[in-house]
Amino acid sequence: MHPATEKLVTALSEQSIVLNECDYAERGYHFEIDLDAGRLREFAQCMLEQEMYLVFVGGLHVDPAIEIIYQFASYDRLCRLVLRVVVDSNNAIPTISDIFQGADWHERETRDFYGVIFIDHPNLVPLILAEEDVDLKPLLKNSDNIKESAAVRWVTVEEQPETDEKADTD
Amino acid sequence: METAQQNLEPATDIPHDNRYYLNMGPQHPSTHGVLRVLLEMDGEYVIDPQPVLGYGHRMQEKMAEHKNWMAFMPNTGRMDYAAALPYNHGYVALFERICGIEVPARAEYIRVITSELNRIVSHHLWIGAMLLDMGAFTPILYTFDDREQVLDILEDVTGSRLTYCYFRVGGVCKDIDDNFVEKTRAFIKRQRERFDVYNKLVTGNIIFIKRTEGVGVISLDMARRYGVTGPVLRGSGIAYDVRKNEPYSVYPKFDFDIPTGQNGDSYDRYLVRLEEIEQSLRIIEQALDQLPDGPFLAKVPKKLKMPTGDSSFAVEAARGELTYYLVSGGGDIPYRLKIRVPSYSNLSVLPELCQGMLLSDLVAAMGSMDLVIPEIDR
Repeated sequence: MHPATEKLVTALSEQSIVLNECDYAERGYHFEIDLDAGRLREFAQCMLEQEMYLVFVGGLHVDPAIEIIYQFASYDRLCRLVLRVVVDSNNAIPTISDIFQGADWHERETRDFYGVIFIDHPNLVPLILAEEDVDLKPLLKNSDNIKESAAVRWVTVEEQPETDEKADTD
Repeated sequence: METAQQNLEPATDIPHDNRYYLNMGPQHPSTHGVLRVLLEMDGEYVIDPQPVLGYGHRMQEKMAEHKNWMAFMPNTGRMDYAAALPYNHGYVALFERICGIEVPARAEYIRVITSELNRIVSHHLWIGAMLLDMGAFTPILYTFDDREQVLDILEDVTGSRLTYCYFRVGGVCKDIDDNFVEKTRAFIKRQRERFDVYNKLVTGNIIFIKRTEGVGVISLDMARRYGVTGPVLRGSGIAYDVRKNEPYSVYPKFDFDIPTGQNGDSYDRYLVRLEEIEQSLRIIEQALDQLPDGPFLAKVPKKLKMPTGDSSFAVEAARGELTYYLVSGGGDIPYRLKIRVPSYSNLSVLPELCQGMLLSDLVAAMGSMDLVIPEIDR
């Protein structure tokens, strides 16, 4: 492990944030973290101090509540991590746009697509959608196709459900 | 014009007679597509530039959630129209990894060769368009002449000139032949001779230097806070390139450099892209020399099921880091596909970067970012 990555892991565990190490060869990132919304800003601050940059912020509509996905990576070492934070009962979550200014647009876009409120965002107006479509929330799932949060979590190859693998090659 | 030298402190509480709003775009030539920048102006100076997005948004991420993941393939070529192949690449590579598909060596070489050719045409387009933005008409005629040579090569093998859909899971859809190799080698030779023309016409041009040097300086701290990547980041001296830092495909087999700038200004971003053309030529040259024989497409089951869970794949597109982040609930339709495009984060620095600039400097700084709006409005 790169010394700077070790430092990051230490810094996070000092704040008792649990990192799950992932198999990079399978999933394309190194750590996944589930966090309470209350600790999001503290986490983002830590990412800035550990010299990570913000790759993206995006939403994920699952049952029971929308999850916001943050991905961070580093300019100088191979380290990529994914953070998941569940929105509260009002579909709200704190903003990190004052820590990572790049989150400003990502958060506005997520508000457009999912209707999530980013608390204390300085300018939470539609970014992509037209003003009249402000309540469209195009990426929300409907009751037919929404899945439970656990149903879209990674399972190791051995745990994958059986599929009928016919020798269907061309 | 006598009012141009005003107090430039933004957000003064004194009512200002010379403040006005100016709409740059959505049809302005230098916004390269349908982008509008709402400029709060004070005389010739920009007080607050705010990009207004969404004019051509197609909701690609929604489309991805509605069809078999293979059917999304043509969409990947319709985000960054100037360099579509890296978008092909990231998408197929993501599925190859999660489904555990081995790609034949020849296919990986073909992917690298065509992706790098695509990067070169993207930089050709940029050099021409950037200079056009700043009022120089001639360079685009030269770079488009060169660009045509590559587009013809790519058209022969991919079947299209711009919105390529050439890669497949397990390889590419058509093999390259001797004609391709010959024409590509001829292009490499030709392009190396053309650098002299570029340098005489642009690199040493005093007007160009005066318009770009010291304009739009991006610091490391600013880059990190916004997630800036690609040549825009490398212009600021940070050698971050996904091809080196997070190697994929057969890039580790080639000897190439990551050019960086020193001052992080618009001129350095020009130098970085110019040098990247040479580095791409080096990669292509080595790949052609080592090109292995064998199949160009692996045997892949027609019905591929995705494993449950999330996975991520990053590639170096012509404008920076492109990341596909997939969440799957099993089956063959993605549950969620987040597409992180480089121009989106790169453009988001604009309000901070261009505050207090002359309007003409904003055109130079924005031009140096190499924006492709359909990528932002994906």
